[in-house]
Amino acid sequence: MDGYTSNNASENETITLKSSDGIEFHIDTRIANRYTLLNNWNSGGTYWFTAFKKSACLPNVTGKVLEKVLEWCEHHINDPLPNYDDDDSRRRNTVIDDWDQNFLNRVDQDMLFDIILAANYLDIKLLLDIGCKTVANMIKGKSPEELRSSFNIVNDFTPEEEEAIRREN
Amino acid sequence: MASKIFMGDMPELMENILNNLNDDTYELYQCALVSRHWCRISIPMIWQDPFKYFNQDAPFIPEYFSSLGEDEKFILKEHGINIESSKTLFDYARFLNNLDLHNLENNTKTWIESYMAYLKPYNGPLINHISNLLLKLFIESGATLHQLNIYSEFIKIKSEIFHSLEQNVQFFSRLQVLSFGTISGEISITLLKILTNHSTKISDLKLDGFYYEPQVTRGRIELYPNSQVFHELVRFIKSQEQLKKFTMSSTEFAEEFHGIVLALECQKQSLQEVIIEGCNYSTEFEILRKCENLKTLRLRYCNDESLLEVLDIKINTLEVMKTTIEASMLVLVFEKVSTSLQRLKLESRDTIIVEQSLLTDALMSFCPNITYLDIADIEFSTQFLDLISNLQKLQFLTLGYIEFIDVSDEDVSDEELVIQFAEILPSTLQYLDLRNSCLDSYIDIILNNCYAPLKKLIIHKLDDKKNAKAVIKFCKRKGTLNYVGVDNYWESSFNSLKMEGYVDRYVTMGPYEDIYVEC
Repeated sequence: MDGYTSNNASENETITLKSSDGIEFHIDTRIANRYTLLNNWNSGGTYWFTAFKKSACLPNVTGKVLEKVLEWCEHHINDPLPNYDDDDSRRRNTVIDDWDQNFLNRVDQDMLFDIILAANYLDIKLLLDIGCKTVANMIKGKSPEELRSSFNIVNDFTPEEEEAIRREN
Repeated sequence: MASKIFMGDMPELMENILNNLNDDTYELYQCALVSRHWCRISIPMIWQDPFKYFNQDAPFIPEYFSSLGEDEKFILKEHGINIESSKTLFDYARFLNNLDLHNLENNTKTWIESYMAYLKPYNGPLINHISNLLLKLFIESGATLHQLNIYSEFIKIKSEIFHSLEQNVQFFSRLQVLSFGTISGEISITLLKILTNHSTKISDLKLDGFYYEPQVTRGRIELYPNSQVFHELVRFIKSQEQLKKFTMSSTEFAEEFHGIVLALECQKQSLQEVIIEGCNYSTEFEILRKCENLKTLRLRYCNDESLLEVLDIKINTLEVMKTTIEASMLVLVFEKVSTSLQRLKLESRDTIIVEQSLLTDALMSFCPNITYLDIADIEFSTQFLDLISNLQKLQFLTLGYIEFIDVSDEDVSDEELVIQFAEILPSTLQYLDLRNSCLDSYIDIILNNCYAPLKKLIIHKLDDKKNAKAVIKFCKRKGTLNYVGVDNYWESSFNSLKMEGYVDRYVTMGPYEDIYVEC
């Protein structure tokens, strides 16, 4: 089964990414060139790359998630590259723009976390940053009980531990 | 089921998420109470910079005491401090990341005054004693500093601290931001020697005033700079491997220290930003011409115009803050930096910018690539409007104090001029900061006539329905505005509007700091 194909695939060279569940995506090499890890695959830098075919297998990313990640990459294909050496500027740049906000608002919580994990795995820093900022915005203003309920987290403190944290902090 | 990010499998991602809470201690505290894993990630963030602020009563200080040795606890007891502290859940001292010596002293003082209220106001030796105890605890706990502010006129660092620093080299080994200010000559020299040996990865160095030794000359006590401090500072700068930002903030006698600037030659490959405050020109500053990667130059309160002459470098960010800016001196600068200039901040502290027409003409002729303009102390004239409309790449505009010129000098009224201003705002403009501009009374006129796709708007206050309606109308018409930052967010008048859900239905409102972008 073929998945997402870049709009400009006919005009530009493409590479093929194969998700963990076997879905193939033909992407514009310009996308691969923007991101370090994809770029390494493209230039044969990792063991997933096969020498005879410009393709890479992504054992940690499902087709559904990869489709969303590539949708984001395609939208940002012409953006200027941010300076990742400058932590402050990276933090400033994580103010979420409207398109990104809508993009992440349209996905459910499980997909949001999967996108973050995929962005981390594929080293797509800006997507990782906006994903993390979105989750941080979900955390803001919530009590510990509300946070547990929102993210399905079990309270594993003993009463003594919880009391000590309240006392010491 | 919870995502594995929250279950402990990916602690670096959890850290990334919580870093976006911007060190908000209250939010982090809520996170610390969620689960053991959340607690392990949040607690180090809460305790990385406890001395950041001057805390009322500094209640966190006793939590460190449980890690003190028995001898140290005994000495505290002798001074009347008898805290029976059981072992804490975490070794909080180890999480220290940022340390400001001045705030360490001040917080210690307030804690003593709170613990022994009968001593208030207290300025005795116990402040220095406890400050030194805490310092030693931090060093020996295994903490590694990221940021250090050495500024204190009073602290007397004991010799055992220096010995401990030599034994625990990790404390300074990852230091990236160092602010070095007024501290006694002897302490400066010893600290600088240790820093030179163990801290070579500073990316941001600020020299913020110097200590002057009192000496008796012809029967009078006079202050002189300590030449050995100067020598050690030069050695320290030369020892650095990747200095990117350098700030020199001097007061009187500054010339004696200009030689330090020469040491920057060793950093000419890495240096990207230089901030010079309160200095006069001297030939040493010519070294900046050799810094080929220098992109940002900020000159604050430097009234010697010659400093601008070192500018034949292709910087992209320039800030000039002076008591009086004379446009004629900037024309040549704009011609030199020309198309490379993208971010410009001009502030003339005491008077409005002199010969403003020269300034606007030069900017329009030479600097078409400006994306951020932060300008204050200007005449709000048709000429200024011409400048704004000509900056076709402008994305950020911050206006400081503006002066409406006498109506008799122009054919248009103030209100007409504001309408024109709103109409000519470039279609690239996304960020408008009018907080300090005196245009607050015209917010409705600006928004009703603005075609720019503003995303962020910063104003001083929003306390009347006329302006609130204009915000809503703009939101409906343009559909771009997503945040209105307000200077006095907590003022009750604004809160009452907010509570009614009046503007909130259309746009997020909050403190301006959340969206403020520095030039």
